[in-house]
Amino acid sequence: MIKITDLEKYYSTEEVRTIALNGLSFKVKEGEFVAVMGPSGCGKSTLLNILGLLDEPDGGSFLFNGIEVAGFNERKRSNLRKHNIGFVFQSFNLIDELTVFENVELPLIYTGVKSADRKERVNEVLERMQIMHRRKHFPQQLSGGQQQRVAIARAVINRPKLILADEPTGNLDSSNGNEVMELLTELNDAGTTIVMVTHSEHDAKYSHRIIRMLDGQKVTENVLADFKGI
Amino acid sequence: MLGNLINIAVRNIRKNQGYSILNITGLALGITSACLIFLWVENETNFDSSIPDQERVFYVPINQKYKGEWQTFHASPGPLAAALKKEIPEVNKAGRLVNANLLFKVGDNIINSNGHYADTDIFEIFGLSFIEGNAKTAFENLNSIVITEETAEKLFGTVEGIVGKSIFVNNSPPLQISGVIEDSPANVTYKFSWLCPFQHYSKENSWTQTYDNNFVDTFVKLIPGADRIAVDNKVRDILPLLTQDNKQEAFLHSSKDWHLRSKFQNGVIVGGAIEFVQLFSLIAIIILLIACINFMNLATARSEKKANEVGVRKALGSSKKILIAQFLTESMMTASMAAGVAVLLLYLLLPYFNNLVERDLTIGFNEPAHLIFLIGITLVCGIFAGLYPAFYLSSFKPLDIFKRINKPGGSAVSLRKGLIVTQFIFSIVFIISTLIVFLQIQHIKSRDLGFNKENVVQIPVNGNIIKNYNSIEEDMFALGLVQNVSMNSSEIFSSGSNGSGLSWQGGIETEDVLIRYRWITSNFIETLGMEIVEGRNFSNNSRNDSLNIIITQSFAKLMGPGSAVGRIVTADKNYTVIGVVKDYVYGDIYGPSQPVMFLSGLDEASFLYVRLKPGIPQGMVLGSLQKVLKRHNPAFPFEYTFVDRVFQTKFKREILISKLSQIFALIAILISCLGLFGLSAFTAEQRKKEIGIRKTLGSSVLNIWRLLFQEFLFLILIAIIIAVPIAYLLLSQWLQGFAYRIDMNFWVFIIAGAIAILIALLTISFHAVKAAKNNPSNNLRTE
Ligand SMILES: Nc1ncnc2c1ncn2[C@@H]1O[C@H](COP(=O)(O)OP(=O)(O)O)[C@@H](O)[C@H]1O
Ligand SMILES: [Mg+2]
Repeated sequence: MIKITDLEKYYSTEEVRTIALNGLSFKVKEGEFVAVMGPSGCGKSTLLNILGLLDEPDGGSFLFNGIEVAGFNERKRSNLRKHNIGFVFQSFNLIDELTVFENVELPLIYTGVKSADRKERVNEVLERMQIMHRRKHFPQQLSGGQQQRVAIARAVINRPKLILADEPTGNLDSSNGNEVMELLTELNDAGTTIVMVTHSEHDAKYSHRIIRMLDGQKVTENVLADFKGI
Repeated sequence: MLGNLINIAVRNIRKNQGYSILNITGLALGITSACLIFLWVENETNFDSSIPDQERVFYVPINQKYKGEWQTFHASPGPLAAALKKEIPEVNKAGRLVNANLLFKVGDNIINSNGHYADTDIFEIFGLSFIEGNAKTAFENLNSIVITEETAEKLFGTVEGIVGKSIFVNNSPPLQISGVIEDSPANVTYKFSWLCPFQHYSKENSWTQTYDNNFVDTFVKLIPGADRIAVDNKVRDILPLLTQDNKQEAFLHSSKDWHLRSKFQNGVIVGGAIEFVQLFSLIAIIILLIACINFMNLATARSEKKANEVGVRKALGSSKKILIAQFLTESMMTASMAAGVAVLLLYLLLPYFNNLVERDLTIGFNEPAHLIFLIGITLVCGIFAGLYPAFYLSSFKPLDIFKRINKPGGSAVSLRKGLIVTQFIFSIVFIISTLIVFLQIQHIKSRDLGFNKENVVQIPVNGNIIKNYNSIEEDMFALGLVQNVSMNSSEIFSSGSNGSGLSWQGGIETEDVLIRYRWITSNFIETLGMEIVEGRNFSNNSRNDSLNIIITQSFAKLMGPGSAVGRIVTADKNYTVIGVVKDYVYGDIYGPSQPVMFLSGLDEASFLYVRLKPGIPQGMVLGSLQKVLKRHNPAFPFEYTFVDRVFQTKFKREILISKLSQIFALIAILISCLGLFGLSAFTAEQRKKEIGIRKTLGSSVLNIWRLLFQEFLFLILIAIIIAVPIAYLLLSQWLQGFAYRIDMNFWVFIIAGAIAILIALLTISFHAVKAAKNNPSNNLRTE
């Protein structure tokens, strides 16, 4: 599903030029659950942003479902993104001014789903994430675990093939964190490909494979479980 | 302490350069506008203030009763001044002025000069100061003349040593200079260039001695401490007493009101130019308000970003007072910088402004009033703009901010919105006004005047023109360049002479109707392209028509049903109506046409009208006309104007208002947009994370732009809804002042609203599109 080759990304500020990704290559197969680990600042978020088509690479190739997307313009990226990719962030990134329901509904609006269908699908997902009773609340009125469940609900509402999660348990205590990991595993079991950045060896164990990075490069890969594909 | 405050203020202004530039520019524009308007208002309100003891100096107009209503005239009978001085002990000085044009000759130097015949008291009433000679002896000799420095320079090229010298005058004995006075200041109602003894004029014109003719300007100066109202009552009694006619009265018009309050209705002051002074003062205040609102909005918006900092400071024990002082220092510094920029702009723009308002305004920092105004306005703006943000921000409670219980800004956000709405209400009212004033001017410009104003030259009649008229006419026709030549006793657009007490067949209560009359030559009606709707024109031989008249339609209407031709109008003699012409516009060009009767004759002529053949270069024709006149009237310089140009001067004031309202509307909108620009930047910044999230989830650039714009669009729609009725009321009142006016058109409001929305749209789009185009990953890097 994902094949990146020699991916490069630089950040230039006034004084320094930071190399965030330095010739990174790997593949992710459809249905796989991959964890990306590495010290802070090694380029994990940058990688995820590029995989999520939120940012463009400065060099290398990125094949998404066999299509080269490295040179895509904003409109094409946006189109591909909203139909195929869901995001879960460490800091949840919910919109404070919108209710739980409205937050989850948003991706459906952008993909042009009709109002009646939207309601049904949002309710269904909220039910699955067990936050139906909170659907009229605003994000600040929820606990961290609940907020992350809303974020996951929003990430899956469009039934994406790929979910990108950047330290999804980073702001949660261990029991809430485990709950989130259970949810991600369930989604993966149902066939969704997942790439997750994490600091936690414990969380990484939920995945099939761990990619370890340092200074924008891959250092090792551990295969934890036999991935048979789907 | 103060040093520290200023230090931090300077750092803040620097750190937020973008916002500071918006604030300073807005305020500078506001202060500049206010200062320009102030200079103009100061000039207007100081009119005639150079007259010594201004509060004791009065003009004496005459009220006359027509159809039960007083009409006020600026002319009084010759003997009135002396009578006032004799009968009313409080009248200390009384003098008359009569305007006159004389052709002066000194050596080869010939100038046509407009000046006055005057009584000796005039020198003291107007406080004219003599450089040479003195008021007492100036008019001892009937053939003496007092001239101003400017006239002296023109005639002699010097001011010195000219007393006793002679000035030659066309068709009369030479005048001997008995004194030189200082030039009149620019802002006075009555300007002098020369003065001759009134008797010099009246000895030749015996009718000046009676109460039957109103033709002089009468002025009085009261004794110190006189009770103005009591004196005014005595003045009002004097004409009925002396003439046994209680349908007219004289009264006092203070020199303080000459310039600004000189519009009379039914005998009382109802306003005048003061309305413009008030209007533009109001506009100045509104523009400043709009500029201050920018500061308030941007400062509170920005301060929310600093809410945390304030929380920390307060937690660390900073007192509310220091925080308030901090904010006020910043706003005062901003206002001071704006004032600095404004002073530069003022010096830059004043010449253009002077040109526009046709004044010679100057900025004088040695003039306390100017300095006080500038400092005052800076202080007021600084305090007004800074006070609200200061109290608002210093009232943040540290705990609330940290816990984010109350998101900071609730009340400030709604106030901010209210203030934007306020700015746009003003801007939209300005836009609508500009459009309506413009349309009204277009409307009057294209009014059907009842004659063709294009291509007609108007030449003042002087010297031998009347005597040589036949040859002049002949020579002009011989040029082959002119279509028609004629004369009129009045200027085509002026109200001219009038009389009442006439009677005519078919008329009721005719004595009270004011009829305008003009003497014309037979070609006049054709020259101006007037239309005879009934009867015939005068014949070429004016003697045949000496008892015939032509009247306008509105006069014919007063004769009741049936044809007016053949009816008799009785004035000094019985006149027969031989023709009726279509009504034409004169006097108040916005008003309905008042009845006119034309008599045949050229002895009274004061203007020559020449219609040029179309399509011939005017420069060429004028040169030829000049040659003809030089031949038959060699003593006088050739002067001319075009009738359509005279027409343009009739709505000079409206054009000035139009220009000023355009300029100030533009400034108001510009300042409002600066604020909107800053706020949209702020909103885009504030919603950066949300925009990032939305884009991550697949929102398009258009979606984001709409999201940001919607917020402001709503405010502007509210502003339109409030502004439209306000503008409607104000402008229909303004239009009421014109009898000939446009109807309020609904689409004017729609266009104004559309302009406001469009301008706001462009302003906001800059930041909205920028924010929307940003890579979402940049916006989300907030962790
Ligand atoms: N927008 C940016 N501007 C400048 N430098 C950046 C930006 N984003 C990331 N970086 C730098 O790129 C490197 C990789 O960052 P990131 O991908 O966020 O690391 P990680 O998520 O692994 O902690 C870091 O050195 C970081 O400082
Ligand atoms: Mg990271």
